[in-house]
Amino acid sequence: MKVAVLIKQVPDTTAKVGITSGSVDEGAISKWSISPYDEYALESALSLQSGSGATVVAITLGPERSSKSLIDAAAVGADELLHVVHDGGLGSLSLQKALSEAVTRVGAEVVLVGKQAADTNSGSTGPGVAKMLNYSCVGLVSRIEAGSDGFEATRSTPSGMERVSVKLPCVFAFDKGDVELRRPNVRGIMMAKKKPIEKISLADLGVDNTGEGVSTTSVDYPPEKPEGQRFEGADAAAEVAVKLREEANVI
Amino acid sequence: MGYEALDFYDVDSLLTDEERMIRDAVRDWVDESVIPKIENACREGVFLDEWRQDIGSMGILGAPLKGYGCPGLSYTAYGVICRELERGDSGIRSFASVQGSLAMYPIWDFGSEEQKEKYLPGMATGELIGCFGLTEPDYGSNPGDMVTKATEDGDGFVLNGAKMWITNGTIADLAIVWAKLDGVIRGFIVEKGDPGFSAPEMKGKHSLKASVTSELVFQDCRIPKDRILPGVKGLRGPFSCLNNARFGISWGAIGSAQACYDSAKSYALSRIQFDHPIAAYQLVQNKLAWMLREITKGQLLAYHLGKKKDAGEWIPEHISLAKMNNVDIALEIARVSRDIHGANGILDEYPVMRHMANLESVKTYEGTHDIHNLILGRHITGIQAFTKGA
Ligand SMILES: Cc1cc2nc3c(=O)[nH]c(=O)nc-3n(C[C@H](O)[C@H](O)[C@H](O)COP(=O)(O)OP(=O)(O)OC[C@H]3O[C@@H](n4cnc5c(N)ncnc54)[C@H](O)[C@@H]3O)c2cc1C
Repeated sequence: MKVAVLIKQVPDTTAKVGITSGSVDEGAISKWSISPYDEYALESALSLQSGSGATVVAITLGPERSSKSLIDAAAVGADELLHVVHDGGLGSLSLQKALSEAVTRVGAEVVLVGKQAADTNSGSTGPGVAKMLNYSCVGLVSRIEAGSDGFEATRSTPSGMERVSVKLPCVFAFDKGDVELRRPNVRGIMMAKKKPIEKISLADLGVDNTGEGVSTTSVDYPPEKPEGQRFEGADAAAEVAVKLREEANVI
Repeated sequence: MGYEALDFYDVDSLLTDEERMIRDAVRDWVDESVIPKIENACREGVFLDEWRQDIGSMGILGAPLKGYGCPGLSYTAYGVICRELERGDSGIRSFASVQGSLAMYPIWDFGSEEQKEKYLPGMATGELIGCFGLTEPDYGSNPGDMVTKATEDGDGFVLNGAKMWITNGTIADLAIVWAKLDGVIRGFIVEKGDPGFSAPEMKGKHSLKASVTSELVFQDCRIPKDRILPGVKGLRGPFSCLNNARFGISWGAIGSAQACYDSAKSYALSRIQFDHPIAAYQLVQNKLAWMLREITKGQLLAYHLGKKKDAGEWIPEHISLAKMNNVDIALEIARVSRDIHGANGILDEYPVMRHMANLESVKTYEGTHDIHNLILGRHITGIQAFTKGA
């Protein structure tokens, strides 16, 4: 069984993000990492690898620098690495098309991906790729287990845990799970260095980056948080309770 | 706030990709598994066993050694590992230094084939812990006059004497013990449980509290013949180990200094006195600028020494200079950082006082600051000043 993990390289959650003339200043980002939800997808793929001997193919789409996220994936155990090299913007339709073509190219029947990327937060990649491939799709998954004829997936819902059974071929979009992510060790890092990365272009996949329905017009900083309010003395308790209930909605 | 490693001259850009990946892996581990637990471990005076397991499974023990399950990395990579570990705590780095440079290295360099195969693979994974017994109660800077003795007795050796200040001693599965056999210093492997051997822990430390420090006591301790290290005689044995450990310390101290600088910088920017952040005052800026200057110089020293070590073009005096300088500036940076934190600097909410107290040990072990001055003095003048008269 081949399992594809779709990995996006995003600014590390600790990196400062600046905006110049309506777009994110990528050159100023000090550290790039694998998007956190994708890490859970990768971890699940690796447990399929150790549990049922699956071959794990890590796929990323992005500029040259994103090869690093494939090397990081190899350092924890990904078997094969495919980099669709593309610099600059890409609409979500073209992105989904490219990734689904990449999945077909590597011959994976199971696709694991984060539920959304930490930078764009759009959440459309998993379902979009599933639609193009005509695979089943389960979102907000926290755990999967291989069964005799497909998978059992656990999803956390606001009211509890739901278990669904899923037939191949399928796409799972991962939420943060209760699994511990494995960390790379020196042996993995040294082996990752030797693992070849197959690099292809959008054109190789027959994707031309046109005909988009959605494009980003501009990005902006979040609004400044309003200044906090101060209350003193026990007399203010009643007023604070009202505000906590009616303005902050926390009680 | 997350840790921002000061690297003003971008010295880490000189590392290889793998060295940077190893750096990131160790740094992340320190963030997740050391920083949240270290203060409590210090309060209780324990080295957590999960640290041993994690460090072992990261595969960083005995970093520059090749073969027998060892990682086979560069000395520069070893330095980077020490730096990242010591950014967490000098006690964690001490564990790795002792295991790799002081216990694995002598087996790797001076051990028999059987000894290497027996011990090194388990030590590389952290399943077997080693310690290094050189210092004695009455012989610290002057180990050449040690009194611990080995005598040949039938099919084995009998050891008598005591070692003191031995890192990892109580938790160790094996000890590399330096003792005199017919007046000549030799290395012996003593295993936990050997008759006549005990390793009581030393308590009451104000420094390196998360590291185990012990006495090693040998009372007619009998060990088999095949436990002597065949490959070395005299002080060259322990000193070759110390060269490697000292090299790691010259990097490690930079990690402590970076942690203290990072804390001082963010504290100075957020602490308001006389209506302004204290970072806005020239006196405080001067302190921060001085830290930046010394850390940057120390990083260049460590990096260049790493390259020399990797190329095999080094002399022990090169290592003395870097160990002495980098520990010295790290300790002073910890003190200045403590000062910038005001009263908060003495709390365990901030790492600075812990690093400061740790670095007092680091200044003393692996050759005291002044012993390194004397080593350099002898190198410059050709006159030894360790002892007076003939
Ligand atoms: C936490 C900790 C862990 C340790 N771990 C280990 C370990 O794992 N294995 C091990 O073998 N040892 C270990 N040591 C011991 C350490 O190496 C010794 O403490 C060190 O060598 C200094 O010896 P000493 O403490 O006896 O000091 P001394 O040698 O008595 O020195 C006292 C002072 O006198 C100065 N001095 C000494 N000789 C001269 C001289 N000729 N001229 C001028 N000044 C001089 C020194 O610089 C120092 O300031 C550890 C020590 C500590 C604190």
